[in-house]
Amino acid sequence: MELFDTATVLTRVLTSGVVMSIEKSDRELPGLERLLSKQTGRAKAVLVNSRSAAVHTALAGQGIGHGDAINRPGLGEKDRAFLAWLGIELREDAAEGEPVAFDHIALDAENAHRLGELAAASTAPALVVDLTGLGFGPAAAVLTDDPVQWARGERLKIFGAYDLRTMWTQEEESADLVPGVQFNYRLSPLVAACVRMALGQAKRPLTTSGAAS
Amino acid sequence: MITDFPSRPLPLPNADELAAELAAFGGDAIIPKDLRRTLFPVITKEDVFNLMLAQRSTPQKVVDGFAEAYRQYVGAGYALPTASGTSSLHLALVGAGVQPGDEVIVPAFTFIATAQAVVAAHAVPVFVDIDPRTYCMDPQAAAAAITERTRAIMPVHVHGLPADVPALRALADRHGIALVEDASHAHSAKIGEQVAGSFGDAAGQSLMADKNFPLGGEGGIAFFATAEAHGRAADYLERHGIDYGMSWVAAAFGTSQLARLPHYDEIRARNAELLGRALDGTGLFHAPHVPEGHTHAYNMYRITLTPDAVGLDDLPVWAVKEAVHELLVAEGVPAREWQNTPIPCHLPFQHRDGFGNGYPFTLNPGAVRDHRPEDFPVTQGMLDSTLVLCRELRAPVEYERALRYADAFAKVARRPDAIRKLVEAGDYRRPYEKAARLG
Ligand SMILES: Cc1ncc(COP(=O)(O)O)c(C=O)c1O
Repeated sequence: MELFDTATVLTRVLTSGVVMSIEKSDRELPGLERLLSKQTGRAKAVLVNSRSAAVHTALAGQGIGHGDAINRPGLGEKDRAFLAWLGIELREDAAEGEPVAFDHIALDAENAHRLGELAAASTAPALVVDLTGLGFGPAAAVLTDDPVQWARGERLKIFGAYDLRTMWTQEEESADLVPGVQFNYRLSPLVAACVRMALGQAKRPLTTSGAAS
Repeated sequence: MITDFPSRPLPLPNADELAAELAAFGGDAIIPKDLRRTLFPVITKEDVFNLMLAQRSTPQKVVDGFAEAYRQYVGAGYALPTASGTSSLHLALVGAGVQPGDEVIVPAFTFIATAQAVVAAHAVPVFVDIDPRTYCMDPQAAAAAITERTRAIMPVHVHGLPADVPALRALADRHGIALVEDASHAHSAKIGEQVAGSFGDAAGQSLMADKNFPLGGEGGIAFFATAEAHGRAADYLERHGIDYGMSWVAAAFGTSQLARLPHYDEIRARNAELLGRALDGTGLFHAPHVPEGHTHAYNMYRITLTPDAVGLDDLPVWAVKEAVHELLVAEGVPAREWQNTPIPCHLPFQHRDGFGNGYPFTLNPGAVRDHRPEDFPVTQGMLDSTLVLCRELRAPVEYERALRYADAFAKVARRPDAIRKLVEAGDYRRPYEKAARLG
């Protein structure tokens, strides 16, 4: 993404005055959620502040926690260490072709335009998309078609509140979805706005910015 | 054009409005509906320009530059910038030497993140009551909760008032355990000339955009007294594959905000003092208590009600509080409860499922309790009898707005008859009888 475009996006969000992720009037996070849903063909997106947060969200969303075992061949050392920290075991005995707990895609400037294609090849119930490589700091998303998985993920990242925009006044309706351990995995709207523009532009051929184009 | 300017300026206060009918009964509100929004954080051209400049640097440099500038401001030994306050608290605990299954003493009154950070560290939070004047952890209650397995005490500088650090430090030293601060409300708060975040063996602090010192969206920072503690936290992240890094976008915004933090602190202190003087003149309302030598940061402003001062001592204080709450909101002052039950009464600490199958609570079954609100009578009493101003006073609001807040409290305090009428007609419940809310 051109520096000029990043500058424009950041200035636009700062001018709106809304930089907080739990602000009712924030439009940036829902905007990125919609774009990711559209590009990946999944019904729901949970935005989070890092790749490990997304892995945690993908598993907790499926009700997988400490003491459970999953099938997920091919993970790197860092992901394996993180799963061990979560207390989740990697099954060694899974048969070839058995469903995996989550798929993962790491996006950067080179492959961002292929998100749709990469997502189409994924069959796992949760798709982790690492957005960190786009250059705006740690950022990631979990995409899913399962509304319960989505609801659990949203609640994990914000202390059990399922709706960022009404968290302060919420009466608890689905106590069974409240996670035990809860984090702040929320993504900044400023980061979300930059990611959204980068993904939007990745659809088009590169042009230079400003008067030169 | 997108703009956050209001449609018109707030009119100057007018003494006649105080004697007019209450807004809840059809009178004009002290703060008109269209002028209630308070802007926070304040975003200036410096913030915009600094973000533009940051694009020309490397992300690492921007984040490190921010963390070093703020570390110096706080006067802490070492710093680790993070993605959130919760993650900074997790790392502060790890740096302080907290191990899986250890007990960490936390106040029953705080934001749930304080206790969840203990669970994140695979340790078990042990809840204790608060001091009735400062609302911070009661050192005597903490002393009574110490066991062989206690590894740290984690007080919260509640609402921006530093906890009783000398007493807690002495307690920790006596038992050879760590003192870890949750300084999330307490940017620039002080005891003497020492700044919160630099008192303990380690500290965590939220820098999310609704805190006194806001970053661009979300962020936090962990402070450590020694290189060893800092190293332990950094190694932990590496070893467990945890990404807690701060975005350069959030950091760049914080760098320019930091330059103006003392300015906004001064306005918060000025407005708090102004409102405090006015409240103390009402009889019904009382300003927060600030012990000698402590500097309150006023992230929140908790107001105590004494119904007996206006002849309402026959009514339950929590019902008077609810009625006053309604009247104030109608006048355009969005006071609220901010916490309605002790943290151990929230679902995650009733069910104790943790990371799944009860971990880490299962590591130390002796440390867990099935708490009820009555176990924390001071917290309960405070929740029954106080109301809180949040962003509406945290923002560096105009002088005329601060004066109008004072007028709204005075207007309501003059009408015990109206309060009584509402209480008698209302179907009020005690705060903890309602579902536990985050804030
Ligand atoms: C006392 C206290 N501790 C911790 C936190 C957690 O910080 P964060 O939301 O940045 O994770 C907060 C606020 O949100 C807080 O008020």
